[in-house]
Amino acid sequence: MSRPKDERNKTVLALTSSALLLPAYQGALADAQPEFTEVGMRYSKYDEDDILSRKAFGGGSERYEIDVAQFHLLAPVADQWSFALDVAWEDMSGASPWFVGESASGSPKVIMSGASIEDTRTEVSGTTRYYFDRGNAGLNYTYSDEDDYTSNAVAVDGAFNSEDGLTTYSAAVSTSHDDIDPTQGTIPTNTLSARKDVNSVWVGVSRIVSKRALVRFGLSYTYRDGFLTDPYKGDDRRPDERKEWAASAGYRHFFDAPNAALHVDYRYFNDDWDVQSHTVDIAWEQNLPQNFRVTPFIRYYTQHEAEFFYNLEDPSYEYFADDYRLSAFGAFSYGLRLRHDFGDWSINLDAERYKTDESWGIYSGEESPGLVDFWRYGIGLDYIFR
Amino acid sequence: MKTLTSLLMAVVLCGCETVQPWERGILAKEEMQWQTNVSEAQLRNQIYASKEASSGGAGASGGGCGCN
Repeated sequence: MSRPKDERNKTVLALTSSALLLPAYQGALADAQPEFTEVGMRYSKYDEDDILSRKAFGGGSERYEIDVAQFHLLAPVADQWSFALDVAWEDMSGASPWFVGESASGSPKVIMSGASIEDTRTEVSGTTRYYFDRGNAGLNYTYSDEDDYTSNAVAVDGAFNSEDGLTTYSAAVSTSHDDIDPTQGTIPTNTLSARKDVNSVWVGVSRIVSKRALVRFGLSYTYRDGFLTDPYKGDDRRPDERKEWAASAGYRHFFDAPNAALHVDYRYFNDDWDVQSHTVDIAWEQNLPQNFRVTPFIRYYTQHEAEFFYNLEDPSYEYFADDYRLSAFGAFSYGLRLRHDFGDWSINLDAERYKTDESWGIYSGEESPGLVDFWRYGIGLDYIFR
Repeated sequence: MKTLTSLLMAVVLCGCETVQPWERGILAKEEMQWQTNVSEAQLRNQIYASKEASSGGAGASGGGCGCN
């Protein structure tokens, strides 16, 4: 015999529907208007390992480090609306690979830019969202400003539940217009001023599989048009358009006995630069006594090199890049998150180690001497105004 | 790849059981969300996108940056 849909069940339905929805634009959606205002602050440190002396001319060198502060606000507005504000500040310094040359022994080595890069970035993102009986629709504007780069982006997204609430269909479109004005210093740049446009569309579906499992699938297409060359890398010459496809899948399963949830996510990526990649993310959200939760996670990534990636340049190449980010490699990252809820507060701590190696990838290719390893640490504090 | 995705969707969706609204309490738990910490996920995705040749897949692309 079915139970009446009382107030408690309405609450559960609203919460569960929010669990179903896909992140259409940079984060989780909720198809029930948030009941309370919530705010959060977060500080993170990103720190790349020094490049080894055997991989660089002039000996080992420090690389990039970034301090990041983030602010998040989500508030209900009127009866069926919400407003979200996300602000991020980044302070960057250090050196990055400038170009690759051939050593006396014939092996490629990196020439670093020198510890000359100093930049700050501010990103402001606002989202208004309207909630209706079986879904929601959002409008987002994001502005990002650096000394040498400005971006304006607009995105629209929507999610719609099936009548039984078991399936959610989602879609999003976005457009971004970016201005590139490289800082003129000791290193010659590949342009004085340029533009780039990025247009993207995404569709997704998520489904309740059982009382303890959810699954989702997504498909996205992104078209980049304009100056796609790295302005600071020596002799970098890339095509002025790029077409990208990505297919993704996700699964969540709750296990009663350990009181924990398993997260598994996969993405396949393909583009017309001949880059293909596979990404697998696995996390275990383990609840502990006293409102603690610990989450170990692991990620594997492997990519095929771009068709114009070479370590050493030949002037006859129409396109050329020695950028390690376009080389074939594999990457493992692993880390831990710790969360503690106390009253209306919650505190989050996390750390991640990211390591790369050409031999860890499933695609073979020239090994770039510029591959990067890094550490990331973070601490965040959230508060709900009940 | 699209065929594989379609096949996976068909298999999974056919294997679903009907779960009534009052049976979805576990699915509403915070640890069952697609992202349990949105700010951290935003930062992670930005870092990966700036150090790898791939991005996107879980939504439309957002604003760009000149991240090196």
